Amino acid sequence: MTEALEWLQFVLAPQMINGLSIGVAVVLMALGLTIIFGLLDVINMAHGEFYAIGAYLAVALLGLGLSFWWALALTPMLMAVLGYATERGLIQRVFHSKDRHTLTLLLTFGLAIVLEDVLKIIFGANPLRVETPITGGSELFGLFFPNYRLFVMVAGGLLIAAVWVLVFRTSLGAIVRAAAFDRHMSASLGVPVSRVYAATFAFGVALAGLAGVLLAPIYSVFPTMGRDFVLIAFSVVIIGGMGSIKGAVLAGLLLTQVQSISSLFISPVWNDPLLFGIMVLVLMWRPRGLFGKLGHA
Amino acid sequence: MKTKMIPTLMAAAAFTAGAYAQTGPIRIGVVTPLSGTYAGIGQQVKWGLDLAAKEINASGGVSGRQIELIYEDEEANPAVAVQKAEKLFQVSKVDFLTGTVNSGSTLAVGQVAERNNRLIATTVSFADSITADKCSPNVFRVNARAGMQSAALADWMASTKPNANVFYLGPDYEMGRSTVAAFKSAAEGKGAKTVGEVFAPLDNKDYSPFFGQMRSARPSVIYTSVAGNDTVRLFTQMAEFGLSRNVQVVGASGTVTSQNLQAIGKAADGFVTGVGYSPNIDNADNKKFVASFEAANKAQPDLYGADSYGVLFFYKAAVEKAKSTDTDKVREAMRGIQWSTPQGIKTMRAGDHQAMQDMYAVRVNGGKFEIVGKVAAAAAIGPDSCTKF
Repeated sequence: MTEALEWLQFVLAPQMINGLSIGVAVVLMALGLTIIFGLLDVINMAHGEFYAIGAYLAVALLGLGLSFWWALALTPMLMAVLGYATERGLIQRVFHSKDRHTLTLLLTFGLAIVLEDVLKIIFGANPLRVETPITGGSELFGLFFPNYRLFVMVAGGLLIAAVWVLVFRTSLGAIVRAAAFDRHMSASLGVPVSRVYAATFAFGVALAGLAGVLLAPIYSVFPTMGRDFVLIAFSVVIIGGMGSIKGAVLAGLLLTQVQSISSLFISPVWNDPLLFGIMVLVLMWRPRGLFGKLGHA
Repeated sequence: MKTKMIPTLMAAAAFTAGAYAQTGPIRIGVVTPLSGTYAGIGQQVKWGLDLAAKEINASGGVSGRQIELIYEDEEANPAVAVQKAEKLFQVSKVDFLTGTVNSGSTLAVGQVAERNNRLIATTVSFADSITADKCSPNVFRVNARAGMQSAALADWMASTKPNANVFYLGPDYEMGRSTVAAFKSAAEGKGAKTVGEVFAPLDNKDYSPFFGQMRSARPSVIYTSVAGNDTVRLFTQMAEFGLSRNVQVVGASGTVTSQNLQAIGKAADGFVTGVGYSPNIDNADNKKFVASFEAANKAQPDLYGADSYGVLFFYKAAVEKAKSTDTDKVREAMRGIQWSTPQGIKTMRAGDHQAMQDMYAVRVNGGKFEIVGKVAAAAAIGPDSCTKF
């Protein structure tokens, strides 16, 4: 009996907390993706690269002598500008054509390839380092846990809550949800739909950039880093239901817990098969994912 | 049409090569990655070869003939390497070929050399198989192979951490598994105990899910063969979780390199690996080499630069001993030959075409590698398992 309790406390609990810290990172990535999909019906293949650009912006701002906290505050703003420009300059151009899904997918996929190479040209192919702004660690359940990861968990949790409040509890959020639910009706009621689209895209991109800065000290910065989270973020969005914020949060935390706990028992090589196995099962049982779309939630 | 032409071309090539042999310059083809992932290694290869060619030509050449280097970019792709090597043998009619980096390229180009009856030498590729089960009478290796690096590291570990409890963490693909297996057998042969192993997917982003397992295994040494960005993450995260305290971290020679050392920063300090070269090797030849290399290229040589510099002296020694550039005569001369390199005298083992050399254990300290141990050539090389010639 005591043995089982000790196992729970010293093996399972730390592993779950660890999984939670990765889960928050995954949810941050999936959030921007699902909001953009839920509103614009655009599958943003360049989301991972926006995450990478966020991290590189932090590197550049730190290089200018700013502190990490300034970089954390400024990067999402710069990313929002980039996101707004991308939506207006590129996505709007193919948005209204008949094969919107194919065209926006190809467009953002191409953009991803270009952005990755641009990062390589500007910053070089070698990995870069962002010093951890909070050093040291705390005892948690009798186990050492880095303070910065605790910070990321708390900050990420607050951020997720803030996004939820913004979308579901403010009039701004109501406008966004209305535009997602019925764009023609919203337009006829005076909602500036195309600006709402651009702003929402910018918001999603800013979230990806923010995740890039927050995670840079843990995962380091290099041109192909965008590929890291994007696969699991896409799976999370699909399992949670394309466009659902609640779904993204639940699926993100669930999947990372499954990965974390399973790695106690089976080789990490099985991580991906497990992940996609769950995705296939969910799709067989509920083809639209666990929850509905943004406008319907 | 093209295939019909080849025998004619080959006859013509043999004729012309024979006709101007012993008079014009000696042509040496270099198939190396000048672009792509391995461009950094290709750069060192080129710097080393250019410097050696300049020095040899200035002091009268090889048997009075100048060396001419002809470069081709292989893009670290064996398929491209094969085409470029074929072109160098058939069109440029090179006498000798070197420069391949990727072990797959070396093996593939070795077969091209067999068909063209020419000799090649690699100065970079680590895979043991090149001079073991996949050895070729036309392929020589002047650099140290993976097994020799493991032997040097295992020897250092046995003397500083006798009977260590070792935990292994490798990337989950062929190179990762074979390096772990090789080091494990070398270490266990010297008394180390294995307390656990994990193979993480390549490009793994977070290693912390494995840390619980690593901690509970209570290792005194952690061996890893991850590379590139994976090393940056593993080392940063281990430092983050305080896992590297009271544990000696060792690894493969490609784990910490000049490409990722800066990004790892302080977390790399104390890391030990086995290598065949260090700019700090204390002998007159090496000091002279490092000085001229730095003067020419404004960068320090690494093991690739040093071994690529050395290969031209290997070829020069063999041609002067054979008094010919004829393939069979040069091959005979290369077997068992001794030549001087920045690492000291190397000997080409006749049985498997693997160079024998002293090996070193090096430790990272403040962003630089320092030598902490040395293993004699004979102890490091391991048995000759080549059965093809």
